[in-house]
Amino acid sequence: MTGKKLHVKIKPLGILDLLSFKNLVPGRKKRIEKAPGTSIDPLPPVNALAGKLHPEIQHLVVDQIKDETGDVRTYRLVPDKEKGTLQPAYFRPGQYLSFTFEVEGATVTRPYSISSTPGEALSGFYEIAVKRYHDGFVSRQIWDHWTEGCAVLSGGPEGFFYHDHLRDRQNVIGIAGGTGITPFRSMAKSILDDDLKINLVIFYGSNKKEEIIYHEELKELQASSGGRIKIIHVLAEEKLENFEHGYITADLLKKYAAPLESSIFVCGPKPLYRHIDRELKGPAIRRKFIRKEDFGEIEDVSSLETYPGGAAGKAFKVLVHRGKEAVEIEADAGESLLVAMERAGLCPPSSCRSGSCGVCRSLLIKGDLFIPEEVDDRRQADKKFGYIHPCIAYPLENLEIVVPRRKIE
Amino acid sequence: MSKDRFQDSYDAVVVGAGNGGLVAAATLAAKGHKTLLLEQHNLPGGFATSFVRGRFEFEPSLHEIADFGSPQNKGGVRKLLEDKIGIDSEWMRVPEAYRLIIPHEKSGRIDATMPFGEAEYISKMEQYVPGSRESVSKFVKLCEEVVHAFSYLGRSRGNPDKKVLTGTYANFLKTAPYTLQEVLDAVKMPYRAQKIITAYWCYLGLGSKYVNFSIFAAMFNRYIAKEAFIPRYRSHEYTTALDLKIRQLGGDIIYNTRVERILVENGRVVGVETSHGDIIKTAYVIANTSPHTVYSRLIHPRSAVPERAWKTCNARKVGFSALVVYLGLDKSPEELGLKEYSYFIYSTPDSNEIYDRFHKLGRPAAQATVCLNNAVPDCSPEGTTILYLTTLFSGEAWSGVSPRDYFQVKNKIAAEMIDEFEKALGVNIEESIEEIAVATPATFARYTGAFNGGIYGYEPVPWDSILPRMMTMNEEKYIKGLDFAGGFAFRGHGYSSSLQSGETAALLTHKDLMEVK
Ligand SMILES: Cc1cc2nc3c(=O)[nH]c(=O)nc-3n(C[C@H](O)[C@H](O)[C@H](O)COP(=O)(O)OP(=O)(O)OC[C@H]3O[C@@H](n4cnc5c(N)ncnc54)[C@H](O)[C@@H]3O)c2cc1C
Ligand code: FES
Repeated sequence: MTGKKLHVKIKPLGILDLLSFKNLVPGRKKRIEKAPGTSIDPLPPVNALAGKLHPEIQHLVVDQIKDETGDVRTYRLVPDKEKGTLQPAYFRPGQYLSFTFEVEGATVTRPYSISSTPGEALSGFYEIAVKRYHDGFVSRQIWDHWTEGCAVLSGGPEGFFYHDHLRDRQNVIGIAGGTGITPFRSMAKSILDDDLKINLVIFYGSNKKEEIIYHEELKELQASSGGRIKIIHVLAEEKLENFEHGYITADLLKKYAAPLESSIFVCGPKPLYRHIDRELKGPAIRRKFIRKEDFGEIEDVSSLETYPGGAAGKAFKVLVHRGKEAVEIEADAGESLLVAMERAGLCPPSSCRSGSCGVCRSLLIKGDLFIPEEVDDRRQADKKFGYIHPCIAYPLENLEIVVPRRKIE
Repeated sequence: MSKDRFQDSYDAVVVGAGNGGLVAAATLAAKGHKTLLLEQHNLPGGFATSFVRGRFEFEPSLHEIADFGSPQNKGGVRKLLEDKIGIDSEWMRVPEAYRLIIPHEKSGRIDATMPFGEAEYISKMEQYVPGSRESVSKFVKLCEEVVHAFSYLGRSRGNPDKKVLTGTYANFLKTAPYTLQEVLDAVKMPYRAQKIITAYWCYLGLGSKYVNFSIFAAMFNRYIAKEAFIPRYRSHEYTTALDLKIRQLGGDIIYNTRVERILVENGRVVGVETSHGDIIKTAYVIANTSPHTVYSRLIHPRSAVPERAWKTCNARKVGFSALVVYLGLDKSPEELGLKEYSYFIYSTPDSNEIYDRFHKLGRPAAQATVCLNNAVPDCSPEGTTILYLTTLFSGEAWSGVSPRDYFQVKNKIAAEMIDEFEKALGVNIEESIEEIAVATPATFARYTGAFNGGIYGYEPVPWDSILPRMMTMNEEKYIKGLDFAGGFAFRGHGYSSSLQSGETAALLTHKDLMEVK
């Protein structure tokens, strides 16, 4: 802007203005001189709250072990006060913990949903339910080595599989398969604690009656809930009285609940998601009313329809840069880059192992890999600049990548 | 560590990869210094990042970058990022300055949508407030002079010619010691125009009778004259581009690594120690975190912090933190009736009253809300909208919140903000929420370690505004080899200031390094 010269007077000071300007520095010095010379609290209240809500690590100890079914055990974990964890961090029913393990010389992580309630965390413990897989790398280790008194390392509570009353309906349908029941146990118990104000109908799919986890407990929860909790067991391989038979279908949902007036939460193995997607297909249910928990690693990546032909069964070389150091490792086409690195003893960072948390984020320098689109939750700029999430990236040829160190080594 | 994985000595170490730290590291690396950037999180950017929920990628903090300018009319920040550092990032123009809604103004509801461009702004104001042209023009011109004066001060590198100052920039000198309100009254601006013109006050976090005029003037001019821009793929795009650039220039970056100690001997920096136990020798540290944090947590031994440094911290007030409600909505902006990008909604007209209320944990009296799609149409999938509602809180307001109450408290405030937005605009938002995330002061503290969650640097009151800070910069340098970048550095908070502060800190360090070499 141009025009005639501007002249501003600040009333009532007028010509004293310039003097005030000259006083800026002496005035500042006086202010500083007058202030107390005491040191500052290095952990102000908000940082303290953040630390309580989101501890970077939690030192826990196995306190109790309970057999639930032939291959599922509940582990109760309490804080290891000597190591500095005074209290299990509070959480929202449905969240998980990422545990770190040393197995056969490799450092690996595994996420487990918290099956206990936030109220129980306040009173001093978490529970997780661990299913033993015969060829499971870590679950076997847990079963074999987690004895009472054993020290365990986890991160803070994570994940977004929780009810939010601003977003979700008060009527909730939970669809669970196998150990996918764990977050719903947390939710159901929280309803009784009055910490979660929802009505919950759980459709729980198992193969056989004996494989149902928390069978008795769920019955009791339903009985004492005053109608707020309802459990429908669906058995795929058995026909029994008082049990539904077959799979969880849209018709079954309608028989016991009101799917069009509910929020639907799904947690279980990957085939369950595909099945539910087919059942709930159609425009009737808005996306916002169907929420799925991450299901973790992809078991047989080459069976995915989108998997490009040619690579299956092969092994590749991956040059991994960490700081100034570069290590060459072997990676099988069928395993995620994360696993390949863990196997090679590199201890890369990870948490959700499902592509969504971004903790494993790394830079791809060279080579092609397969990232299943349905789990590709990368940031847009990461796609633009070639960053990948190794937990859901599968090599298709020799690669070169840059990987950050873990937060805590 | 891993000695083999990183070097154990650097010319300079930058602590923190926020806006200030990234630019500082890039500038130092470009000057050929062996530079190491350490960041506790696994991503660059600090507040300048992004996060994904479902099919939405949210912008955590940025509303709009000031002093950016179009490719034809570049502002300082665009020149810095594109010409000096040279990063690959795409920028989108924000369509309008803002829409301001004050539902309960005594003289009747204010609902004004203001354009960019000085002449356009003045004309639009005349439409809303007939008779305001003269005083508004005067104000706009004054703001322009303030910006020119600041760039003159920058060019003069601390040695301004008194004659030039008193001659060419007399109005700048005269207004510098005063508050925004004092200057508004001095130019006799009509009441309603004052309300409309001060709308940006919440970006500074200080009411009109508290905030220093010069700093408001500089911000106002840089937005109105240079327009506002945002990155195409959220702030994560340009901060990742900065990361790649730093490496390309030969700098090293280590993520997931917190600096636990800045080692000081005989009053000067000699190195840093990290959460992994790395000990790295260096004579220069640029801290992209507040002096409060550096003195109270990082300087080792603590006795190396002089009393004067504590006094300086205690004299200043840490600015506000924020609460942000991020919404992914399953309707398009048209379906929702959202036409503008930037909304300021002030439930009570007096900015000073709102300022006071930000110190308590009650229903928010103000919000700055952004509909991202109206600047980046494809920021979310077809038929969806990203909306984020921001209000301010002092850290102290949250000090009594326990982990158990935390989720309930934040969701209650979120619900109140959504309600206020819906009422002010006459729209329905809640019904379409597909994703929601609520960040609080504790969230900001978690991700960046910010002191009490503060996102707004030190309060720029007249005695602690940029000018007096600039004039005392050397004598307030309490530890040799230590400089600050980011929102708590002398330029104050905000993206443009934080970014530019990184350059300033790097250039000062460069000067010292060259003298030594
Ligand atoms: C909700 C919200 C809205 C805002 N809106 C706007 C807007 O519209 N326009 C605008 O211009 N500005 C806005 N701001 C302000 C602006 O975001 C900040 O002032 C600015 O980004 C601060 O940048 P910084 O350089 O201080 O970095 P920060 O983002 O504070 O980053 C500091 C970095 O240092 C790291 N760090 C700290 N300590 C250590 C350590 N010991 N070791 C290793 N790493 C460490 C942190 O992890 C972080 O990465 C907003 C802020 C928020 C939160
Ligand atoms: S571990 Fe979460 S994205 Fe890879």
